[in-house]
Amino acid sequence: MPQIESLRDTLLATPLFAVALTLTAYLLGMGLFRRLGQPTWLPAILIAAVFLAALLALSGIPYPEYREGANWLTILLGPATVALGMPLYQQLPRIRELWRPLVVSLPLAASLAVLYALGIAWLMGASQPILASLAAKSVTAPIAIGITQQLGGSIALLMGGLLVTGVAAIAFVSLLARWMKIKDERIIGFALGLNGHAIGTVRAFEISPTAGAFASLGMSLTGIFTALLLPLAWRLVGVIGMSVTS
Amino acid sequence: MPAVGGFLWLVGFWLVGETVVTLTGLPVSAGVVGMLLLSATLMVRGGVPESLAAAAQPLIALLAMLIMPGVVGVFFILDEMAGYWTAILSALILGTLLSVATTLWLMQHLMQGYHAPD
Repeated sequence: MPQIESLRDTLLATPLFAVALTLTAYLLGMGLFRRLGQPTWLPAILIAAVFLAALLALSGIPYPEYREGANWLTILLGPATVALGMPLYQQLPRIRELWRPLVVSLPLAASLAVLYALGIAWLMGASQPILASLAAKSVTAPIAIGITQQLGGSIALLMGGLLVTGVAAIAFVSLLARWMKIKDERIIGFALGLNGHAIGTVRAFEISPTAGAFASLGMSLTGIFTALLLPLAWRLVGVIGMSVTS
Repeated sequence: MPAVGGFLWLVGFWLVGETVVTLTGLPVSAGVVGMLLLSATLMVRGGVPESLAAAAQPLIALLAMLIMPGVVGVFFILDEMAGYWTAILSALILGTLLSVATTLWLMQHLMQGYHAPD
């Protein structure tokens, strides 16, 4: 039926179709997540992403076309990143109170989070674009996307990496904290936010408001630190690498 | 609609961030510069205006939705990355185990003497 064909083409041509698909998958994902009792090992975003992939497959839209339409939505990531400045400001009293341990541990832990992952991937023979995609794996998504674009990595792979990292961080923090007999919710929250970005921070808020506040602190400071230094370090290493090979 | 005014704050700071990045050539995203400038402005001003909170809170809550179009892309590169998945997953999982252990160990030692305020 040619009429239905042309209707389908018309609908697929408008970016609002991609927007509607995204909103539908998000709501379905959140709904199922709540139904399942908010499991920590299965974040809502993972469920929603699977729904979205299914919707894309059903409607037959090629991913690049969908991506272009969804740009109308994702352009909001810019102002949303700026918005993170508000909770950061609200946490300043806590930062001041604990500035000494934070000044030492944050740069070390945030740098090592990058170096461990890159070191392992490099030893196992990952290519340079893969390294560039994994470098920002512990950074909250809106900031990590910016970093990865600077490094020339794949956003899709980064996003998958963020998901795996967030879920792994939740599991390892609870295991290791028990093993190391750490009960201080400030430390547990901070570790969740620093290593597990937004996914870890959501988990920390489930533990307690204090853990949540320290997780958002860890998340925002890691994001800022990595965003400021990783692209510079990457450029530097690239320059050294080139002068060595040439 | 106070949220409209707040949204203008956010977009405005993003544009300032973009200006700074373009002029200085810093390898940092406009959003991060805007975020830092926003918290610096709030520090000087002392307090969060209601309109800003009205726009910032829902946007932060929607972050997960805004990154979904990107996240779903990973399903479309599964074949492309075939052969690298062991390296990628080892780096992510083992790397996270090591960095979690480092963070907990560092904080455990550095926070001695800082008693929980209650």
